[in-house]
Amino acid sequence: MQLETSAQPSILGAKDSDLGVSIKAGSGKTFDRKNRLLFYNRFFRIACIASAVFVCLILFGILFFMFRTGILTFRDVSPLTFFFSTEWSPEEESYGAFVFIFGTFALTFLTLLISVPLSVVIAVFLSEVAPAWLRNALRPILDLLVGIPSVVYGFLGLTILIPLLRDVTGTNMGDGILAAAIVLTIMVLPTISRVSDDAISAVPRKYRDASYALGGTRFQTIFKVTIPAARSGILYGVILGMARAIGETMAVVMVIGNTPQLADALFKPTSVLTSNIVMQIANVPFDSTWNYALYMMGFLLLVISLLMIVLVRLLQRKGAKS
Amino acid sequence: MKWFKSLTVAAMAIALVTSTVSVVGAASSLKGKIVINGSSALLPLTLQAANEFKKANPKVKISASAAGSITGPQSVRKGIADIGAVDWDASQDVPGFKKFEGQVAHKVAVIPFAAVVNKNVKVDNLTTKQLQDIFSGKVTNWKDVGGSDADIIVVNRAFGSGTRVNFQMKALQGTDFISKGNNYKEVKSSGDMKTAVETTPNAIGYMDLVYVTSNMKALQINGIAPTEANVINGTYKVWGFGYYMTKGQPDEVTKAFIEYIQSAKFQNGSLKKLKFIPISAIK
Repeated sequence: MQLETSAQPSILGAKDSDLGVSIKAGSGKTFDRKNRLLFYNRFFRIACIASAVFVCLILFGILFFMFRTGILTFRDVSPLTFFFSTEWSPEEESYGAFVFIFGTFALTFLTLLISVPLSVVIAVFLSEVAPAWLRNALRPILDLLVGIPSVVYGFLGLTILIPLLRDVTGTNMGDGILAAAIVLTIMVLPTISRVSDDAISAVPRKYRDASYALGGTRFQTIFKVTIPAARSGILYGVILGMARAIGETMAVVMVIGNTPQLADALFKPTSVLTSNIVMQIANVPFDSTWNYALYMMGFLLLVISLLMIVLVRLLQRKGAKS
Repeated sequence: MKWFKSLTVAAMAIALVTSTVSVVGAASSLKGKIVINGSSALLPLTLQAANEFKKANPKVKISASAAGSITGPQSVRKGIADIGAVDWDASQDVPGFKKFEGQVAHKVAVIPFAAVVNKNVKVDNLTTKQLQDIFSGKVTNWKDVGGSDADIIVVNRAFGSGTRVNFQMKALQGTDFISKGNNYKEVKSSGDMKTAVETTPNAIGYMDLVYVTSNMKALQINGIAPTEANVINGTYKVWGFGYYMTKGQPDEVTKAFIEYIQSAKFQNGSLKKLKFIPISAIK
């Protein structure tokens, strides 16, 4: 009995306070909404910053860990030897990576030499010349080409392209930097041409109209007005293609021959950074200079592609200013 | 029809009960976990043995993976794996690799290797000396070893491959490989080797005997054809043992697994089906 009576007032009290709260909430609703929105904005802002920081952390994390393992190479090998010696035979303790560094640059250069003009012409055809129905058919086809796994390209290169090169040129093997560059060209072609295509299509119509009004021919309009106007977009496509060409491994390793010798001829089995890493990483002892040297090569690969991207960005900015 | 149905059900029930009983009867008290890493050539064998062993010993967990031969003994040394599968005896020095101190090698299978050439090559037989000369780059034209006038394309596995170590030890008797040249290339795996030899005219390479297809030609070495029978009767010398490496003597579970894979039942059954040769067949 005692308990019940003492409980009674407290229940009543709770009811009173509930009533009070609901009234307060009613009057303060606009203020709450403001607070809530403020909170959401803040939160979203922090989430965005966190994502950006996360991406940077990943990049620097990768750079850091590759560097930390790779730098151990120089305990046993002088940097001069590593960067400038062409003698790579780890089983005899000589770690000269120049062959691979040179190979990577040469292969990328050769690939871009073939693929950029081709891609730009394809892009011009798609955006300026082709009738609408053909354009609508070709664009999805190019998009599909981007999605083909690289090992498929490599396999086709090995079984179709190399015998073809052998027949056409009369060389003994066909493996080498030219075969790799052709395979890579086929791989990056859709990327560069689709991005360039979008860039050219985005050039305002009034530019072309102005050119025609001044008496320019179609050829002059395309090469003197449209392409220069779309330059930064085309450069962007080239960066993407280049990044893929530098990092491509599976397709390259199947057609390049994998021999550590300088790529001073188009048909000579050679090796690049990526192909050498993937060929050897599974078979090296963990704590060996050889393993560290492969990490160093991976780090170099990262630095090369970062530098190239920075370089092209700088060029792009310079081009935009002038 | 009805009696037939009930009969089937009864038969099935009996079968079920008896099989359950037999499984329970076979289930041993072994308990534990075995981690296996190493050679990809031995992986099919390891997986098959692991499956059968797990059926008989349900309380044992086995996880097997493969990268390259050398990762086997390395993982064992680091304590990541209990068994390191490797294509050579890693407790001994081999060309290019130092021995692993304190590891015990257990033979699990016999792996025969063959020297193979493209189908357009006229040569059927090479002596050890000729093989040494070809793979070390001294002989570069097929006409010097009795073939037609054409450059020899040497296809080699990358350094560290177990197949390469075995071929170098057994077929070339330790002679060094060439490492450069316009007619020399290296491939990453047995599959790539197969494609390269099949599609490149005048090419010579080597691989596990089981990978040899009808699109290439396996060479006789010193007049002996690379066949299972010739390995067993001792005339064909180019073969190696596949090994399981353990850190010192294996513990009870690991030992039971190794004994299972070495048992006559597994060696003459599943191992033969996977085209390896039983270790007991070699005298």
